[in-house]
Amino acid sequence: MAAPVITLTDVGIRFRRNRRGRRTFKDLFASSNRRSKPGEFWALRNVSFSVQRGESIGVVGRNGQGKSTLLKLVTGVVLSDEGTVHVTEGVAPLIEITGGFVDDLSVRDNVFLTAGLHGMTRKQVESRFDDIIDFAEIADFIDTPYKHLSSGMKVRIAFAVISRLEEPIILVDEVLAVGDKAFREKCYRRIEELLAGGRTLFFVSHNERDLRRFCTRGLYLDKGALVLDGPIGTVLDRYNADYGVKPA
Amino acid sequence: MSSYAEVRPQQRTPFARYRHSLWLLTRRDLRVRYSTSLLGYFWSILDPLVMAGIYWFVFTQVFQRTVGAEPYIVFLLSALLPWMWFNGATSDATRAFLKETKLIRSTRIPRTIWVNRLVLSKGIEFIASLPVLALFAIVYGAEVHADVVFFPLAIILQAALTTGVGLMVAPLVVFFRDLERAVKLVLRILFYASPIIYGTTDLPDGLEFWAAFNPLSGIFSLYRAAFFPGQLDWFVIGVGAAISIAFLVLGILVFNRTERAVLKEI
Repeated sequence: MAAPVITLTDVGIRFRRNRRGRRTFKDLFASSNRRSKPGEFWALRNVSFSVQRGESIGVVGRNGQGKSTLLKLVTGVVLSDEGTVHVTEGVAPLIEITGGFVDDLSVRDNVFLTAGLHGMTRKQVESRFDDIIDFAEIADFIDTPYKHLSSGMKVRIAFAVISRLEEPIILVDEVLAVGDKAFREKCYRRIEELLAGGRTLFFVSHNERDLRRFCTRGLYLDKGALVLDGPIGTVLDRYNADYGVKPA
Repeated sequence: MSSYAEVRPQQRTPFARYRHSLWLLTRRDLRVRYSTSLLGYFWSILDPLVMAGIYWFVFTQVFQRTVGAEPYIVFLLSALLPWMWFNGATSDATRAFLKETKLIRSTRIPRTIWVNRLVLSKGIEFIASLPVLALFAIVYGAEVHADVVFFPLAIILQAALTTGVGLMVAPLVVFFRDLERAVKLVLRILFYASPIIYGTTDLPDGLEFWAAFNPLSGIFSLYRAAFFPGQLDWFVIGVGAAISIAFLVLGILVFNRTERAVLKEI
């Protein structure tokens, strides 16, 4: 078997319970201590799994059980307090996708900026520019400042850019809840295309139908621990047995 | 649909990617600043010009000036312009993370870029303002001395110092919001505590020694030597260079130790 593209070994990360809690210079720099301090909790702990190229994984769990944190760890936008996260290939994160866009710049400038920050060269962006604009259906607004777009358009252009990144790993975190039905279906088709092209997918959703549609393998997170790692059907059944609404 | 081999983004070294991202963000900063204002570039030189005008008026027209050198406006500008760089980058560094939280949460570029881009964009504005200094030097007949060769050294030292301070300030402000205001206050004090409206040689004997421990003293004297070779004091410059490097090292240490906590906090 080929080397896995994502490997997590005994990963743990802790957060402070109250964001405005008192902090001193001392505990800012004394980070090496592995014990949980009062006022802190482990959002994830002892999480280990590995992912092969081309797998599509659905992450299941109730709110606040560490799903988004897991995606952020894989993206590399937060760092684990213990254990190691090893990702061998580029990641296209569909997390907070509109975050990179600047209000005062035009759509065109924003496309180049965001794609560039995710590692694309100017030439690569140029060759995909028309595709991106077509996909977002905003050809008439290329030179409009980003702030004047409607919120639906903002998400559309952001999704168009990130999904064209052509990185081998895609992370999707419930971003598709926004946008109208037609565009959502378009996004789904795009994700299916990407999957067919051999990408690795990490999908966080509460929508069982979407999970079954895209994913083959499921990870079930509960109370910061990885409870079950198996085929998506089994994982969803277990999740429903634990928390699902019982049929009347 | 492209095949798997084509979908890999162009492989580049981490260094090339770092430079690419740094340059993109710096350009974005400059473009945002200049695309939203009519006067664009002139704003970045108007600020030091107005300040220089005020000090010139106060010290040459109102009071009889006993400090600095002739022509005083060139003397002022040769330290005021680099001061604008240091001041602008440091005060922007207080908001380096807070202003970009969404972007930082969604992209995985090396985090030092968020500070370094500020130093770079303010540095570019500084370089762009140098023709103004040259213009005043020509109009007032200030002679360019051979010590102008120290200009690049001054720029390197100032970049090191500013980066170090920024790397320290940016993460700490995330945890201690008060620091934002404290930094503004310290900058205001530092303006008068640095040889901008005066030169280190104008200080009373006892103070001159201590002024060396303000790294800006040495840096500004290197800039000034281009027109006023008498300002060159190698003791002050040596101490200033050592402190600048120390700030850079300390800044990198602080940044690395706090990075993990910063990412959780924002």
